[in-house]
Amino acid sequence: MSRAKRKERGAAAALLALVLICAATAAAVCQEGPLRAYLPGGASVSGWARDGGPQEYEGENLYTYIDGGADIYQEYGFTRVAIQDYKSAAGKSASLEIFEMSTAAAAFGMFSFKRSGSGKAVALGCEAELESYYLNFWKGRFLATLTGFDDSLETVDGLLAIGAAVDAKLPGGGGEPPLVGALPADGLKPGSVKYLKGLLGLNNVYPFYTARGLAFMEAVRGLYDSGEILIVLDYGTAEARRAAWLELRSELESSGRFEQPTNYLTDAVVFKDGKGQYLAFSESGVRLAVGIHSTLEWALATVARAR
Amino acid sequence: MARKIGRREFVRKSAQAGLTLALGAGLATAARAAAPKVKASIVAVGIGGDYEQAAMKAVSLLGGMKKFVPKNARVALLPNVQSRHPGSYTKPEILRAVIRMCRKVGAKEVNCLSWLTVKQWEDTGLKAVIDAEGAGLKIFEKDEALFKPVPIPGGQALKEARILAEFYGHDLLINMPITKDHAGNKFTGTMKNLMGLNSPANNRTFHRPNWKTDPNDVAHLEQSIVDLNKAVKPVLNVVDATEIIVTNGPFGPGQLMRPEKVVAGTDRVAIDAYCAGLWGLDPKDIVQIKRGAEQGLGQIDLTRVRFREDYA
Repeated sequence: MSRAKRKERGAAAALLALVLICAATAAAVCQEGPLRAYLPGGASVSGWARDGGPQEYEGENLYTYIDGGADIYQEYGFTRVAIQDYKSAAGKSASLEIFEMSTAAAAFGMFSFKRSGSGKAVALGCEAELESYYLNFWKGRFLATLTGFDDSLETVDGLLAIGAAVDAKLPGGGGEPPLVGALPADGLKPGSVKYLKGLLGLNNVYPFYTARGLAFMEAVRGLYDSGEILIVLDYGTAEARRAAWLELRSELESSGRFEQPTNYLTDAVVFKDGKGQYLAFSESGVRLAVGIHSTLEWALATVARAR
Repeated sequence: MARKIGRREFVRKSAQAGLTLALGAGLATAARAAAPKVKASIVAVGIGGDYEQAAMKAVSLLGGMKKFVPKNARVALLPNVQSRHPGSYTKPEILRAVIRMCRKVGAKEVNCLSWLTVKQWEDTGLKAVIDAEGAGLKIFEKDEALFKPVPIPGGQALKEARILAEFYGHDLLINMPITKDHAGNKFTGTMKNLMGLNSPANNRTFHRPNWKTDPNDVAHLEQSIVDLNKAVKPVLNVVDATEIIVTNGPFGPGQLMRPEKVVAGTDRVAIDAYCAGLWGLDPKDIVQIKRGAEQGLGQIDLTRVRFREDYA
């Protein structure tokens, strides 16, 4: 064999070995879970170090991690989560959870579900909220939740530093789902928008005590300055919306929880719930809108504003 | 010191201690019979930022721990230790108060029972209290062999519970939940906390397949909880309503509310109805509370409940 051939074969063998090593490494990373790459190491967050090893849960195994609280993640579309604890030199603790959701809309939805709206907006990811001892932000298909165990300055600074390190590693970007635009911006309380994908989320913003007529594709809820609530449900097709509204209306009419007061102002269908709130409905295209307020006039005015 | 008990060790110890268990069951009956009954619908509320004192105040308003724990009793405690997010687990100070009160009236043994992990007990600070107070922490694997089948004759959704067998080696149970939000049914309290004694596999049946919080799914979950409460009756409930999450529960993190109250009593429905009201829920909207009342577990009408409230 010529020297050139031997050299060529040697190079091929080296290349093959390199490929095998890379494949083995990739397999190992895969076994450990793809989210580990986004967990900051001790060196990237000054004054904070990892405390123990990471944990990971995928799919249905989320119930092992948060039995009783997993359903809402599943409703939005959950893929996997990685958890890592951190400790500061002064003994403060923080916990980081990175949730990979099925879509960016799911990540935004879960973010909107978890935030209270009364926290402080922070420049992390696509949108972030810091409230007392915990920080949430979403970016692409990911939702990061950082929890401190007190609200001391050192802990909060640690949350922000770890959050910034995660933000730098997470890929993707993105904006809010287009349906959020159905909520008029004028008078909308900052941080009050909830993006919903199912009944579990809806029941937490307004319970209709029924599933009939509520098989929507997606929905949004906004709170307004004078206490008005606007919910817009999107059924995907006008036909599905029509059928759903007939079903929901029939259910509300026969429910002991709602009464149907006289609406002398408009043609909108109005109900009144047991807490004295008026619900005014309007339908258009694929969407059904509900304006809710303690007065009939405001409920009607609210639903009329749905875009 | 926490001990993790596996199936093999449990079976061996159970065989060795067959006589003890039998005697334990007898003592349990005797202890329940001997324990003076407190009027069903009395709810005591200890108030204040010192949660240990608030817990002691609540129990003292009921006549003191001696009304519930006979001398030499083996006491099982069930705090909520699901997550360490603030407002989502029973405060260590309240656990400390209950352990001390049990010890003071002569309890022979005080043990926390759980199938959750030691790490969860450590993270919440509850294990440190257990260790410091010399109480026991018995952690069990999620192995069905460690759970005892318990038929529920009046069960509507749940016909058979599977309760930690070790529980039956104790004379009585003190149920120690934290009241908080639950994304599915809006409320966690005394009744739901008993899922911590039931096997995880059995608990999963409370959620229907492809659970979507259809009201029928919620009704099934809530009825299962009510049925479970027919199988196990705590001698006392001491509820953490000091600092609680009212959104994104039961795991958290979520929005915190600080009523700074510890609520105690024997009537689970009355206690849960009171706690639900602390954060603006109508008890009649919480299916487990409503059905618990309808099925004889307690009083939902708070005008018929005698309240004893005081600052610690």
